[in-house]
Amino acid sequence: MKSIGIGLHLEAEDVEPVAKAVSAAGLFVSAVEVPDDQPLGDRDLLLRVSALRAALLERATFVAIRYGFTFRAASEAESKIGAAAPQWRRILEENRTRVELTLKIAVGDAHPRPDRHAFASGADYLRALQVAKNAAVVSDEFRRQVEKHIGALCVAYRWTARDAASVELAGLIERRTLPSVGPAGEALKRACPDVPFLLSAPWPLEVFADVDLK
Amino acid sequence: MAEQDTQLSVLEALDHLLDRGVVIAGEAVISIGGVDLLYLGLNVVLANVDTIMRVTGKSK
Repeated sequence: MKSIGIGLHLEAEDVEPVAKAVSAAGLFVSAVEVPDDQPLGDRDLLLRVSALRAALLERATFVAIRYGFTFRAASEAESKIGAAAPQWRRILEENRTRVELTLKIAVGDAHPRPDRHAFASGADYLRALQVAKNAAVVSDEFRRQVEKHIGALCVAYRWTARDAASVELAGLIERRTLPSVGPAGEALKRACPDVPFLLSAPWPLEVFADVDLK
Repeated sequence: MAEQDTQLSVLEALDHLLDRGVVIAGEAVISIGGVDLLYLGLNVVLANVDTIMRVTGKSK
């Protein structure tokens, strides 16, 4: 059997009995066991892990692990979590009462994605991809409205250019603020009815768990 | 919840599962649509199935 890591938690009680809690590097890794030959891309498994992620978030805030991390023993998980564990513990302690929200905005005049066949080298293609990604912007007025309606709910927020066609805002909010997210989205829609966006919450610590950004 | 909203919620949850969160050091192999996607060290290489199918010459 192998274990698929779902998140990093402060306490075993935050994990059990929803998932298996594996003690590693002073934290607990929530995990689900699957047979060694189980393909990770299996649709039902993806949906199962996604549902477990949501159930775990109902119990307590955790640092989300990007899908694909597997291990066979606690010692293996510990060695892979390694040096970053103290920073994740600090992030978890600081944000115990918080979750993330995500606002995805479709950009109307997106920079076209470059054609990979039009480049002589992979490096040139990757540079062009980066230019296209950074070219995705939202209007100043929409940005102001987002910061007024959504940013005001957040302890912190970050804008990122997700790809050539969308921009994203990740916000860190107190759990008690969650009931205000829906009305804030409706207010934003009334203020900017022509801008397509998707507002969702709650999510575990994903963007704000990046130790490099702290 | 309308069916469309349910589907949107599932897609959004899968997007978060596959594309967000901390990346743990190490190597793993994911297979989506029958094509292996390699995680190389800390750099996650993900592409959508359509792109992979075209790259591997399996497109219709």
